[in-house]
Amino acid sequence: MNLPSATACKNNQPTTTAPRLSLACLGVCCLLPILAGCGQTPAATFRPNMVESAKQRLQPEQEQQVATILEAMFGTPDNPVVLPETGLDIAKLRLAAGPVHSDIVGRKNGLFREHCSHCHGVTGDGMGPTAAFLNPYPRDYRPGWFKFKSTERADKPTHADLVTILNNGIYGTSMPSFELLGETKVDALVEYVKYLSMRGEAELSLMRYYFELDDEDEGKLPETRDFLIEEILLPVAERWQEAEDAVIEVPEMPEVDLTESIAMGKELFYGNKANCVKCHGVTALGDGQANDYDDWNKVVKQWSAELQSAHETSTSDMTSEERSEHRAWLAKSDRVLAGDALDPRTIQPRNLRQAIYRGGRRPLDLYYRIHAGINGAPMPAAAGTLSPDEIWHIVNYIRSLPYEFDGELGADRSMVARDRL
Amino acid sequence: MRNRLAGLFWSLLFLAVPVLGVAVFAVAPSIDVWLPKDVSAHGKEIDSLFYFILALTGVVFIVTEMLLFWFIWKYDVAARGEEKATYIHGSHTLEVIWTIIPAVVMLFLAIYQMNAWADVKMRRPVMKPTVEVVARQFEWRLRYPGPDEELGTPDDLFLVNDLHVPVDEDVLVQLKSMDVLHSFFLPNLRIKQDAVPGMKIPVWFKATETGQYDLVCAELCGWGHYKMKGRITIESREDFDAWLEQKYREQEATQPNPQEDML
Repeated sequence: MNLPSATACKNNQPTTTAPRLSLACLGVCCLLPILAGCGQTPAATFRPNMVESAKQRLQPEQEQQVATILEAMFGTPDNPVVLPETGLDIAKLRLAAGPVHSDIVGRKNGLFREHCSHCHGVTGDGMGPTAAFLNPYPRDYRPGWFKFKSTERADKPTHADLVTILNNGIYGTSMPSFELLGETKVDALVEYVKYLSMRGEAELSLMRYYFELDDEDEGKLPETRDFLIEEILLPVAERWQEAEDAVIEVPEMPEVDLTESIAMGKELFYGNKANCVKCHGVTALGDGQANDYDDWNKVVKQWSAELQSAHETSTSDMTSEERSEHRAWLAKSDRVLAGDALDPRTIQPRNLRQAIYRGGRRPLDLYYRIHAGINGAPMPAAAGTLSPDEIWHIVNYIRSLPYEFDGELGADRSMVARDRL
Repeated sequence: MRNRLAGLFWSLLFLAVPVLGVAVFAVAPSIDVWLPKDVSAHGKEIDSLFYFILALTGVVFIVTEMLLFWFIWKYDVAARGEEKATYIHGSHTLEVIWTIIPAVVMLFLAIYQMNAWADVKMRRPVMKPTVEVVARQFEWRLRYPGPDEELGTPDDLFLVNDLHVPVDEDVLVQLKSMDVLHSFFLPNLRIKQDAVPGMKIPVWFKATETGQYDLVCAELCGWGHYKMKGRITIESREDFDAWLEQKYREQEATQPNPQEDML
């Protein structure tokens, strides 16, 4: 690097200054990267839910109004604000929010951006920079759908449920364990996830509300406290608070011989009543129906189908104004679909022979899973069709599957399917 | 004629390298950036090998750097006036010497460390694995074989990141990777072993002191490499067994709060 500049200098400068000049060149080269790193990075911002905005055909000024309201209710990524109605603890949120830094007592702040945002995104939209590499995709908190919890299918998870997920990670996905961060930090992160989720749900609710406006409103949402708190925030916040007392009651496991229970579970697994076999397959390797989607992927899938047909719709009976508006909307929607939504992927029914259980391996976890189904996934709730005893039989059968072996191959002991790989 | 100052500047700059280099090593232990505390049975041998090689390379480093300094100082054109340098094509004898000496040193090291290497990587204790460690982006999945001492049976205990081992006993880890290359690194036990997808690699050690230490990934394994941090707890046999039992009870829970039920 030093050499060419020295020779270049030599051509028109007296030789004595050449070393000094080349030194100066070297100095500048060393300084440049340092100077470049000194620039102020712009403050982090929440990304608007563009998919919903395009679906609801919001105007730019309406998008702006939603953003303004949300900022008043929830603040910014660096400076979260919460209203008492949310029941969230601002001290915990401050620990999790903002850029990564240590405060005056040396406590680490900005936990969400340190540990979570590269997959889940600063907004919690599941679209961080590493998201596209993962299968399954990271959870988008904004619709408020969570899979692994101790509450009924449509309910929110409890605080403790989310703590469990952070502590244990989700084995079988890219979500790792954060247990060693310690209780305080995990607690703060869970609070922040709830905050992002409530914010996302409030955003959806605001965007959908434009549909219900009268002509008098002139396409603007009312900004009264009554409307924002009563109509938008409370319905969201209350569901989170209600979840804390809505944990599924689990009856004791029936006192049947385990082998018998497993046999009954097996019958149910393959029978019409529980019909686990439909998706999990006759071999229980998760090779049944494999062309279904998670709900969030369905949203994108259906919407892209709608767009497709909108593209094919004839514009001949539109006025020229309508037509240009239609085209602008199509262009925006295509842009949003390409940049603000990940390609939908089919959901793989769980291979039950690997001894890998995403939502936890305790018999209790499996009971919750079968009782309430998996929110957002095709897995239905069995609570209405199966009795608690029957659910326990299936739990026992499922837990025996990784070790079930009929001995035909001459192996002398059971084996986890994973070990054969 | 060139300025005498330039020669002075460059020769002192070269002199600064050995001086600062030695100073960094002299100060390091007192500001706690030296080797982490060793709590393993084989660690002393590894450390003494490290010190031996450090001393050997240290001497060569100092001599080479001093020679560099001396040549720049001595043969600065400003100091030597108009006297021209002599052109030489090379010295066969010198080249042979500086090839043979390092070769002998290398050969000596290769033979000298053989026993230490065999202890750590070849002489595996005859036993069933204490625990299976599966590295994955970005965590350590652990599986203890349970009372029957067999992995892959219904009494296996599944955990993550929180590795416990008994003190003063041989520990055999069965190391696997689920996705990419990782490296199972226990700095305080002087253990570092790559985890390779598709391979089951045995790793063994004997801890000599109870305590909690880091378990980290020492192979850049992806974006979240920095968070792939676990913990190893070395404890007495009784504590270890009690912990295993407690964790197994938690894993088999059929009610939300098993602790309350037990009271």
